[in-house]
Amino acid sequence: MNSKIKVAVEWLARTLALLGGFVLISMIIITCVSIFGRTLINIGLGPIPGDFELIEALAAFVVFAFLPWCQITRGHAAVDIFTAFLPDNFNRWIDLIAEILMGLAIFIIAWKLWDGTISKTKYGETTFILQFPIWWAYALSLSVALLGCLVAFYMIILRIIEVIYGKTEINSNSGAVH
Amino acid sequence: MSSLEIGIWSFPILMVLIFIRIPIGLSMLITGFVGSFLIGDNWLPILAKFKNETYSTFSSYSLTIIPLFLLMGQFARLGGMSQALFKAAETWMGHKKGGVAMAAIGACAGFGAICGSSLATAATMGQVALPELKRYGYSGKLATGTLAAGGTLGILIPPSFVLVIFAILTEQNIAKLFIAALVPGLLAAVGYIIAISIYVRIYPESAGSRERAPYSERFKALLEVWPVLAIFLIVVGGIYMGIFTPTEGAAVGAAGTGILALLNGGLTKETLMDSILETAASTGMIFFIVFGASIYNGFLALSQVPQEVAEWVVMLGLNPWMILTIILIIYMVLGCVMDSLSMILLTIPIFFPIVSVLDFGLSPDEFAIWFGVLVLIVVEVGLITPPVGMNLFVINSMAKETKLSDTFRGVIPFITSDLIRTIILVIFPSITLFLMRWLY
Repeated sequence: MNSKIKVAVEWLARTLALLGGFVLISMIIITCVSIFGRTLINIGLGPIPGDFELIEALAAFVVFAFLPWCQITRGHAAVDIFTAFLPDNFNRWIDLIAEILMGLAIFIIAWKLWDGTISKTKYGETTFILQFPIWWAYALSLSVALLGCLVAFYMIILRIIEVIYGKTEINSNSGAVH
Repeated sequence: MSSLEIGIWSFPILMVLIFIRIPIGLSMLITGFVGSFLIGDNWLPILAKFKNETYSTFSSYSLTIIPLFLLMGQFARLGGMSQALFKAAETWMGHKKGGVAMAAIGACAGFGAICGSSLATAATMGQVALPELKRYGYSGKLATGTLAAGGTLGILIPPSFVLVIFAILTEQNIAKLFIAALVPGLLAAVGYIIAISIYVRIYPESAGSRERAPYSERFKALLEVWPVLAIFLIVVGGIYMGIFTPTEGAAVGAAGTGILALLNGGLTKETLMDSILETAASTGMIFFIVFGASIYNGFLALSQVPQEVAEWVVMLGLNPWMILTIILIIYMVLGCVMDSLSMILLTIPIFFPIVSVLDFGLSPDEFAIWFGVLVLIVVEVGLITPPVGMNLFVINSMAKETKLSDTFRGVIPFITSDLIRTIILVIFPSITLFLMRWLY
């Protein structure tokens, strides 16, 4: 694999994850400020209006931004005790098939999210309190979902190369803490 | 094929996909997707479902609690509280026979109160406690077994995100579940401590001795852990008293541990980025499973399998306790190969309709909460069951000179303690429910 592409895609997934993390931290701050305002309602403060809506819109963005990082670091939970004794070559084929299926799923998710965004735009649905159009939130998630497709495509190519050259490039199971 | 047959066939197919190492969330997604197509003989309904299903799952307010708790756990690791907790527990219990191992359990329980993840608890406390256990002459077998088991307290003692998922799946009150899990979680810690004291009496050579710490030192060490207690009380207390929602509670907890880590100097630019990346990988994994499960469960509901199976079980007229026992055993066996969250997402939609029609002399809500706590306990046993219990590997990789087979043997007293505790909690539902009944 061309190392420049590798570096670029890894940078993309990492940057998206970090961006998602900073949005997550801003959600924490919004929530804490809102609770603070709510408890001090007697002296004229109040919660942030529409804080729930804001959190929900941002949460979807965060999850979509986190998914490529999970995929590129092989963070998706899988049961490997029955395949561990199979030859490496066989396991590389499993990796390839899994990655193609994963890519398909991510592609369908992004494609349908696109459709969803368009229909939300058409009907001009807005949120309850803040009255911002719901398609904004959809579009925000869609933008990262499309970048996720890029990462998924890269992963399929990577697996094909692994099968051809008979060498496993990435094996780190980074995350999966539970 | 009738839709019922498609539904029944989907299960072995799903299992095959999972066992050939297709990621669990993806396996459920594919099976549910293709199954929905087969039932309606049309791709359009399931494709249309995707238009809003991903967004609404990922933006779900109650699920937002998951990345928040994960980040809270990461910050808790950086807050330096693991050392303080261990030191406090050690000064109080360390001089007893097997006391340093008991202290490690106590510290794990304390850490579990601000961290909802077993592996993070095992890894964090392992770093602190393993060198100390070695220094005081504890055998590698006992040390690694203790920490692998102690790690499960991370999820057994609330807050725990497996309980959050259970609450969402069964439409139960998260606060009530947290309260109900508290006493069984503390019992787990007590059970482990008893297991250690019996073990060191049988094998006295496996534990060294430590001098008794003066009371002045003990109270000083205890004072150091006040932030843990404060964060736990604010988060769980605030959720319980209705001051904030569980999601808000998680945000407050993350802010609290974050500030603690910042003051402590543990939170730097590098560790912040690492924390975010760890949170990202775990969050991505969990949400993908949640989404796959929602597609698979939607398909199952369409196929009528859960209702039919539940009716069939009722018709058989089996003893409810026997069915419950069988289900708990299935969880223990599955737990040997699968992670707790996937297992709960995969099985609760099938098992819950079955068990909720059985009569255990409890109200439906009380039953659901009791069942949730039991399931939580048995799936956690999977984390320390050889040959695949994740905690065993995490701890063993940290104790280089201890053989994996020793860790496997070292954990047996703790598994025994888990089994005894499970039986007690099954026989006496009020142990789980009394605190909740009293508070609500």
